[in-house]
Amino acid sequence: MLWIAIRMLTGDKQKFYGLLFGIAFSTLLITQQLTIFVNLLERGASGTYNVSSADVWVMDPVSRTTDVAYALPSTALDQVRGVPGVDWAVPHLRANASVRTKDGDLEGVAIIGVDDATLIGLPKGMIEGSTDVLSQPDSVIIDDVGAERMFPGQSPIGERLELNDQRAVVRGIADAIPSFTSTVVLYTKYSQALRYVPGTRNRLSFVLVGAADGIDAKSLSERIEEQTGLKAQTRDEFARDGVDFIIENTGIPLNFGITVLLGFIVGVAIVGLTFSLFIRDNIKQFGALKAIGVTNGKIAQMVAVQAGMVGMIGYGLGVLGTVGFISAFSNDPTFKGFYIPWQIPLISFAAMVLIIVLTGWIALRGVMNTEPAAVFR
Amino acid sequence: MALLPENLSFSRKILPIIAVAGLLLAIVFIWNGLPDRELSEPENEPPRATGELANSARVAGAGLVEPSSEIVDIGTALSGLVSDLRVQPGDYVEKGQVLFTVDDRAVRARISETQAAIGEARAAISEAQSARATAQRQLSLYNQVEDPAAVSRAEVIRAQGDADAANSRLKVARARLSAAQAAAGSARTELGRLTVRAPMAGEILEVNIRPGEFVSTMGGSGLPFIRMGETRPLYIRVDIDESEVARMDMGASAIVSPRGAAGEQVEAKFVRAEPLVVPKRSLTNSASERVDVRVLQVLYELPETDGLFRVGQQIDAFIPAKTTNTKKAGQAKPADSEAEAQ
Repeated sequence: MLWIAIRMLTGDKQKFYGLLFGIAFSTLLITQQLTIFVNLLERGASGTYNVSSADVWVMDPVSRTTDVAYALPSTALDQVRGVPGVDWAVPHLRANASVRTKDGDLEGVAIIGVDDATLIGLPKGMIEGSTDVLSQPDSVIIDDVGAERMFPGQSPIGERLELNDQRAVVRGIADAIPSFTSTVVLYTKYSQALRYVPGTRNRLSFVLVGAADGIDAKSLSERIEEQTGLKAQTRDEFARDGVDFIIENTGIPLNFGITVLLGFIVGVAIVGLTFSLFIRDNIKQFGALKAIGVTNGKIAQMVAVQAGMVGMIGYGLGVLGTVGFISAFSNDPTFKGFYIPWQIPLISFAAMVLIIVLTGWIALRGVMNTEPAAVFR
Repeated sequence: MALLPENLSFSRKILPIIAVAGLLLAIVFIWNGLPDRELSEPENEPPRATGELANSARVAGAGLVEPSSEIVDIGTALSGLVSDLRVQPGDYVEKGQVLFTVDDRAVRARISETQAAIGEARAAISEAQSARATAQRQLSLYNQVEDPAAVSRAEVIRAQGDADAANSRLKVARARLSAAQAAAGSARTELGRLTVRAPMAGEILEVNIRPGEFVSTMGGSGLPFIRMGETRPLYIRVDIDESEVARMDMGASAIVSPRGAAGEQVEAKFVRAEPLVVPKRSLTNSASERVDVRVLQVLYELPETDGLFRVGQQIDAFIPAKTTNTKKAGQAKPADSEAEAQ
């Protein structure tokens, strides 16, 4: 009997594929839009996530994100080192600077100064060169997206730049997630960064802290705040701060959010309408089935099987489409580091199930009330 | 309902299989695509407090390695050209050892001049002595004549005057000798001043002069000519933020590691704290910057290490904080939460 339901579903190829297309398209729409939305917001946290070894970030109490930071006096580093439970602490400098390229063009760049001795603060991986190149004089490491932007179609290795009247030579490419604004990032040693960034009195932007074994980052950050009076955020908190900053300060979350919502509504409307139309079209057949003595329960089962099948196939194709989209664009610098958070397919799955159940149920009410005689009308 | 190949329906059988396969593929892709946000251990060893200090109250500071005598900038007493340089950086010299000499030709010429003057004075003395003897003899001859009419009175007076003049000439000649001798002594002193000697035993850290260069008592180029210091033992000068000073255990040993070799830690003995709290001199920024952080400088003595520490090198130090009886209320709590964390 359930096989008959499936035959019924696939019998009319036009309707079946129309239904499939509707579900697949709306799944694609919801999943893909949400994915891009989430990834775009997470760009605000990329600065935090690019530093792979710091448990806690210590900053001035007014600092908000990796890019909106007020500098600390240099003794803050020693204050933090004096807190029990701090395994290590290193200085970290983040500042914006203007760079003059070989052609004389100006470009705004972010300078990140990492600890001279340990190089803590560099991204985990390198695309070209090794992190040791920073020990050579005047070396900087450029991030991959920035390299593509600044030196399109050529290797940036060995290129000479001018920063604050100082020479800088690109000697490596780091594998980093770009920031929200996709600024070109130059990594260099802390002492070198001090020379590249025109000076204000205090320069130290952050103190990166590693927690000692067995000490929880959260309690450590509270302890640092208590003892030094500085602001300490765990890595996840600070990443969250970066995302919140974008939500609060740009119109993108709202605008994009509306688009995502519209996509969601369009998806719901397509699936709902197609599916309820499909069931309504089959009312005669259901009437005939009732006429030969099929119970309402059985009919509900048949509709459920139809919904399940079309939903499963449509959803599968939709998710496949999203995956295809993301992987196809993964080499584009704009989409660098984009990923599909595992929650998003689940959300779109729940939405799909909800829509199908809802529309199926509404349409089914008509079927349930159909008299077997309807077939003869 | 047989699932026979000839009965294969695209929409009923293949499509669901494609969908399920697609879903599985998507799961694998999503799983593999999740960003790597695992915390990793730093590749290079960062400076950290170890041993008993690892989880107890402590104060951290950065500092510089310096000679226990501090660095002595050697100057010159007289200006001139460097004629000979006897040391090179890294030499260990004893007190009084010659470091360099300044061109001494002019002084040596003056010495021979004064030698000549001494000789001249000596000759003048003997000449005056013989003149005096002659005058004496003449005078005594006149004095022995008893008959007053034999010698005229005027003759006697002249002989008397000759003897007196010869005496004075001898005195003048003697005075000239001692003047010439004094001039010779002063020239010799000057010669000594042209040789610059080590004021103490120590290591030559820097040599900024080469033979032929001009050294001036006014300083000139601004670079010290030679810098030396007693490097046995070495001291470290640790900057402690003034707000942390109250917490630190003055007198306790510090754990010290050089920059870039944080794994190599040594224990340094407390020497003294400088009585003056000074503005922090940032080691990397330009000196002209305004500074509002003040630091207490504390000196520690490094143990004998084979080349691990060098003068002028930056170091990271951890010093124990005061123990419980003086602990502030703010610090009592971290210890508790630490106990919870463990």
